[in-house]
Parts: sequence; C-alpha cells; structure tokens
Amino acid sequence: MKPDSVVIKTMPSRFKHQVPKYRVTRSDACINCGMCAKSCQYGVHERIEGHNRIRPPIDYKCIGYECRKNDEFYCVYKCPRKALSLSLNPMYETLGDCRWTADMITATWIMAETGYPPERTDIDYQMGNSGGGFDKLRLKFPENPLKVERDEISTDLRLNRRNDGRADVVISTPVYGGGMSFGSVSLSTMLSKARCASIWNTFTCTGEGGYPEMLHPYDDHVITQVATGLFGVREETIQRTKIVEFKYAQGAKPGLGGHLLGEKNTESVARMREAVQGVSLFSPFPFHSVYSIEDHKKHIDWVKQMNPKALVSVKVSTPNDVDMVAVGSYYAGAHIIHIDGGYGGTGAAPDIAKKNIAMPIEYAIPRVHSFLKDEGARDVVTLIASGGIRSAHDLAKAICLGADGAVIGTAELIALECVRCGNCESGRGCARGIASTDSELADLFDDEWATQRLVNLYHAWNVQLVDILQKFGMQSVAELVGRTDLLEHVDYR
Amino acid sequence: MPKKYHIAVQATPLNRDFVSKFKIVRGANCINCGKCTKVCIYEAHKRGAQDPRKIAEPHMALCKNCFRCIQECPRGALVKSLDPDFLALGGSYWKPDMFLAIYTQAEDGKVPVSGAGYRGPFTGPGFDGMWTDMSEIVRPTRDGIHGREYISTAVDLGRKLNHLNFDDAGNLASTIHPTVDLPIPIVFDIPPCILSPNVKVACVMAAQTAGTFAMLPAADITEDIQQYANSIIPLVSHEKITAYESVISDARLVAIEYAPALLKDFGSVKESIKKISEAVTIVRVPAMTGIEDVVTKLALSGAEVIHIVADYCGREAPGQGQRFVKEVVLAVHLRLIEERIRDEVTIIVSGGIAMAEHVPKAIICGADLTAVDIPLLIALGALLYEAPEMKLILPDGLEKMPTAIVARRIVNLMGAWHSQLLEVLGAMGIREVRRLRGETGRAIFFDEIDKDTFGKLFHKQETASI
Repeated sequence: MKPDSVVIKTMPSRFKHQVPKYRVTRSDACINCGMCAKSCQYGVHERIEGHNRIRPPIDYKCIGYECRKNDEFYCVYKCPRKALSLSLNPMYETLGDCRWTADMITATWIMAETGYPPERTDIDYQMGNSGGGFDKLRLKFPENPLKVERDEISTDLRLNRRNDGRADVVISTPVYGGGMSFGSVSLSTMLSKARCASIWNTFTCTGEGGYPEMLHPYDDHVITQVATGLFGVREETIQRTKIVEFKYAQGAKPGLGGHLLGEKNTESVARMREAVQGVSLFSPFPFHSVYSIEDHKKHIDWVKQMNPKALVSVKVSTPNDVDMVAVGSYYAGAHIIHIDGGYGGTGAAPDIAKKNIAMPIEYAIPRVHSFLKDEGARDVVTLIASGGIRSAHDLAKAICLGADGAVIGTAELIALECVRCGNCESGRGCARGIASTDSELADLFDDEWATQRLVNLYHAWNVQLVDILQKFGMQSVAELVGRTDLLEHVDYR
Repeated sequence: MPKKYHIAVQATPLNRDFVSKFKIVRGANCINCGKCTKVCIYEAHKRGAQDPRKIAEPHMALCKNCFRCIQECPRGALVKSLDPDFLALGGSYWKPDMFLAIYTQAEDGKVPVSGAGYRGPFTGPGFDGMWTDMSEIVRPTRDGIHGREYISTAVDLGRKLNHLNFDDAGNLASTIHPTVDLPIPIVFDIPPCILSPNVKVACVMAAQTAGTFAMLPAADITEDIQQYANSIIPLVSHEKITAYESVISDARLVAIEYAPALLKDFGSVKESIKKISEAVTIVRVPAMTGIEDVVTKLALSGAEVIHIVADYCGREAPGQGQRFVKEVVLAVHLRLIEERIRDEVTIIVSGGIAMAEHVPKAIICGADLTAVDIPLLIALGALLYEAPEMKLILPDGLEKMPTAIVARRIVNLMGAWHSQLLEVLGAMGIREVRRLRGETGRAIFFDEIDKDTFGKLFHKQETASI
C-alpha cells in the first residue's frame, strides 16, 4: 500500500512532441471543414479560430486503430472528403529494442506522467519481445481467487530478517532504486531518485561516486555503496545510512569493474571522488582485498563495526556458482543478497560483456532461492533481484521465481524520458540530460518534475502489483515469494 | 615473464560514408527555424553551407538516435525511420549491427562501449546460445585490459607429444616436433574473392604487425607478398607441393587442402613438405557430416594442425542435421578426447567468426584458435548479403586505398578483438587462453540451463508420472 506521503500529480513530458505510434496523413482533398477537429477527443486535429487551414495532425496523441471501435471518433470515417488516413508510424520502430520495446517505453512514459498503467489497450507493455526469460513466462491466475479488498493488500517488504538488533527496515513497495553514481548521472537525477525513495518509503543507492551533500536530507532512504574503487567512500558516508551495499560486480559488466571516461570526470565529479579531473577512472575487479569468503566476512564485519545500526547488502552478478556466492555471503553476515543479472543496465560497459558474460537473472533467482532454502537460510536473508526487471509484471515474475523484491534502474531513467539510445558515456554525456554532468545538459530538467515522474512510476507499478496479488487472492506480496506454481513457461507446458 | 603482448592501434578513419542505421526526412512544413541545429548535441543538423537560410540535409552518420530533434521540432517536421538499406544488410546470421560494430572497431581499434543494458534477443542459435562464465570473489588479481596482470593469449600450433621416451642411459629418445607460437589465437584466412593486390599485401602486413599469419592460396603469393614470408601460410593442394617449392621453403606454416587421399597417406605428403622446409603443416578440411571421423583419422596418421572450415555463416556442408560450427567443434573435440589424442593436434576453426566474442566461445567449445575471414573485408567497408545468394560487395575504390591504411584498419580490428578477449578471460579469472580450450564448464549453455531451470520447474507433472 502506498504511504500517505505519496501524492499523484500529472507530470507531462518536457518535450513538445512524443514519439508517435501512428501516423495520421491528411491529403490535398481536405477542405478544412474542421469535422476532424470536432470529432477527435484526443486533440490530434486542431483548428485555430481565425485560421483558414487546419493544422497538421499531431500524431503522437492518436490512439490508433482502437479508435475505430467508436465510429464517433474515428476521424478517417468522419471526414466528408475521405482526406484522412491512418498508418503505423515508421518512427516507432526506431524507438526501443526487443528487450525494451517501443510499447514498454511508451507505457513507462504514460505511467510516469499519470501515475497509473495506461488505459489504452493498443500498447503491449507487460512483456518485451526478447524471446526468452520473463518474456516467455506467464502469470497463471486462478479462476476463483479468494476475495481480497485492494486496501487489505500489503506490499511491504522487511529487509532485516536476522533479528540481530540492527535497524528493522521495512519498505512500502518491494522495489528500490539501483546504484547510479554522481558522474554517471546528473545531480538532478540522483536527487529526484532520493526524494522519490523518501516519499515512497524505500531506498535509492549512491552508486560508486560519493555521497553528494544534497542527499543528506534523505539519509534514511539512501544506501551507501562500497565498490571496488572505493571512490567517495568515507567512514562518514558509511555511518550516514541504514544500509551499506558492497558491490562486487555489476550484471552488465560482470568481472570487469567500473569505468568512468575522462570526459565525464568533471570538476565536481572529481572532487566528490577525490580524484583528478579529466582522468578516466577505473574501479578494478574484484575487491583486491577479497580473495575468499573469509576476506569478504572481514569486510562486512568492518562495516558493521563502523555503523552498528546498518544492514549490509551484497551485490553480486550471476556466474555459474552464484548460488554458492549467495550462501557464502549469508554466512559472512549479509542481510540482503542482491543478485544482478547479465542483461542489466549500465552507464557504460563493453558491448561484449553486456551480451555474453554471466547468466540472465531469470535463471539465477530460482537457483539462489532454492539453494538458500536447502541451506536453511532462506528465511533469514532478503533476496533482491535486478538486471532486466522492466515492468511490474517482470517484478511479479521475479518474486514468483523466488526473489523478495527487486532493484530497478533503467525503468527509472525511462520515466525521466530516457530513450535508451545508449550514449550515456559518449562526449558530453546524455543528450537528454539524465546521465550527464555537463553544465548545460544537466540543467535540462528540474528535480521537482523528475521526482514526481518517479513517484508516479512507483505508484503505477504498485497499482499493478496489487492488481496481480488481488487476482491471486493474496493479502501480501510475501505470499507470492517462490510460487513458481503460479507461473507457466510457454516452452514447457 | 615475456613482454606483454599488445597491438598498437591508431585511429584510421576512411572519411567516407558507410551505412547508417537511421534515416531522417525533413518534411515540407519545416520553417528552417534552426531549432534542430540547437538541440542536436552531435551536430547531425546544420544550416546549409551554401545557403544558411535553409537547414542542410541531416548528416545521418552522426545521428545517435537521441530523439531530441524529433521531439523538439516546433512543426513536427522531422520523421525518423530505420534505413531500409541498413535493414537489408546481411541476413539471418550477419546482423546489420555487426557491420557497424566491425567497421567502427577498424576505425578506432577500441573496445565498443555503450550505455544502457543489452538490447538483443534473450538467446539465439549458434554462439548466441551460450554465455561465458565469470568469477565473483575467490580469484587472484586481474584487471583485464587496464590491468597490471599478465593475461596470455598465446597459443602454439603443431604436433605435441603425448609423453616423452627416454633410453636406458636416460637420454631423451623422443623427437620433439617443431611448433609455431602465436601471440593471439587468431590467424587470417583471406576470403576467396577477387581482391586487389593492395588488399592482399595489406592483410599480410597486418598479420605481421599483429604477430600472426595470413593464409592465402600459394598461387596468389606474388613477389611483394613474398617479402612477408614469415607471416604467410601458403595454401596448396597436396599434388602441387613441389610446384610451389620456393614459397613453401620460406614458410613457417603451410596449409594443404583436404583430399580423401590424405587419409590414406598423410605421411608421404608430410615427407614431401619436409624435403622442402621445416614448416608445420595444416590440413584444411571443410566442415561436413562425419568430420569427427576425418579429423580423428588425420590426427592418428600424424596430422599436426587441422583447420575446420565452415561456410561464411558458420554452417557445415549442407546435409542431414546440418550443424553450426559450435556443435561441430564440440563434437570434434570430444571425439579426439575419446581417442586420447586431443593434446597432440591443434584445431583451428573458421567460418562465421564475426564478432570478438566468437573467438573465446569457439575456444571454449574445443578449438585451439580461430581463423577470421570476412570481417577483414568489412573492416574496409565491404558489405555482405545472404539472400537470395551470398553476395559480398567491396567498397568502391578499394584497389586505390593506400596499403598502409588498409593494413592499419585490420590491425585496429584485431587490437579491439584482442582487448575484448582479455576482458572475457579476465572476467573468468583465466590467465592463459590455452587453458580455456574445451572448458565448457566455464560457459553457460542456453539449452542446458533452460532445461535445468525452467524445464525442471515447469515439467513437474510429466516427470512425476514417469
């Protein structure tokens, strides 16, 4: 359930146009009678008083063929001169890819704008088109579920299950924001993520790039990340937060460490990281002080000593032995095991690593879940999955496979109107101002707009998760964990 | 420790248009306001050079698909689409994106790096149906391409002994066969098409710069190529060995086209080469049904290096149950292990090696090294179409391109591939590419893991009833 601090406000796109799915063409036969403008309730056709000619159609507002169901509004039928035609817009194909389809991106934009899943039914947003993993799994809803009211359904997730006297952290929705360092993203992006986390009573993570002062008001909802380069990590930043995350590896580039190109290492970034401006910064792989699980325990003990309240999260990627690593981390004292699958996001990674190294998260979750169960440790550790969780449906499937919750990154950035063009790392950085510290680009949006877009996205996901739980007749998201019997796979029916 | 092997790369743009993925059409309702020129940070939109009142046609090679111009044009006058010429490239194996990737690596020699996660299909046929493994914690220091640690990508070609024999006096009684060391598990297999002399020379020059070899028909070895004798593998039929005596006598490696006669009498063929030179002999066998038998027989009769050649899409010769090169290599590797002679022969594999990742993947499946062919030409701007039949189109004016530029682009491509090989080895915690051979345990195969995970989870009833 959403905390009281969550208020939904419509927050439209910051751009004049959005990427249209359809194309409305008006031929020369048009006599500018204005019938289309009168009949279209979506504002595709506009006739300005005093103008002779009707304006060119605004494609992106059109809901397409779905409009045909309602003869009243289908401008193509209405037009007395048959001057209008409707087709798929070739532009739509240039948006997205088979993992994040154009429909998924469009739907995420709608969620960020309105706070709810799209009402339009012409957008297929619950699944991607990658031909495997989540895209081949289906939720199997019972015909007669137990009747549960929406407001009886809890989406709370308890992060500390060790009963070790450390902070009893409960988040209100089983999702939190992934680590994105200052330098890889702009300060507005970081700040809005932290503000959203605070409004939603969940978390965001600093990534490996220091703890900007502007985040201090949101300390209780920030995770300090300790990664292999230890950039910006100080005793003070470890003591500041309720959760400290050790990042061993990242799904998009497992075994490769981090990489911030010199161009993005601007003056402010360098100061935060205690590095020299303009120099490419590498986080090595692995932790050069950790060659065994005992060394790993030493690290965890060290953080626990420094911050007696904090929970420790361990973020690892998904090699063949991910289950062993997870159990090892549990024995070393971790509260949260965070597994980041091979198809996860990044601000910069070699393409060879993104595609080829380590397994997709869909395989890792059930492996780790059952291995922890066999070890008798599943109930005392929180299992978080990330790396390819694109929608609320992916989230639900991940939980059915055995995760307690998920970390998202790309979805948040898309809410801020990322188009996944993949140029976060080049030159001045993100052309859309999300992943850039360039003085001009980073000012392309303000954090009020961004915060509300994120709050709306989290809300839309929560609404969908509650829908799913209601269809299963469940009262809490915890009941869904590990319920693979509620899933089916199109290849193994 | 030997000196760290490094391929020096150098930006070598060709300053000509290759393919672009996107196309932007400016509609008639453009009012030349210049908004697009202001919002595009890649300078794809500019005012006309002749007439600055008009906006010039967009420079699509610079477009990075950020959508700023599309979304901010006050008149909505710009329409972007996928360029049909781009989509028509390649086919089911050679994906259009591969051409851009190869071309760009040839340009700058760098590992392709980008933001956002992987955007392709979950899995796929051939090499796309496997992932390489990595190690999380318990491995000694390594930092991939940026690091201080030495990761060896060297392999050696030639016959190795199963064991050593000593005489009664304790002296070595076995004859040690000559081997050839390569610093990188890649040789060039110059594609069989009509190539101008400058390209052939450049391939050989590039091979020399990278410390490896280029394989080409002995008949093509002209005088200007012969000066790189140390980096050439002349390819001859077993009947013509004496005809190419002069070429073979200078070579360190020589390749013989496979013929069934070799199965019966490899020994005498080897003898006739030995009379001319000490060169290590490669037998070049087309991938075909039953290749495991051929390779085994050749190996048992003393073949030193066997080069398995699949077609340009990595397929074996058409026939029942036509396999992809990944399966072919796996089968050959396992058979040789069964026969207990795997370590005695070297296996080269080629055909369909299109991306850097294919090199470690082929090695994991059991090859010692790979040979690369068509990418050498894509690096220069060649285009390939699979349907209706294979067509390779060389760029205009290739024959006039300076040899040094052509060579540098090929070197750049190899430099980028070598760096990527290091990344993959580093992630696995393997310090020597020789140890990767046949290490299928260090890979994750889609077929296995999908059945093992989802098959078990979602096939419960069936297994219970059995």
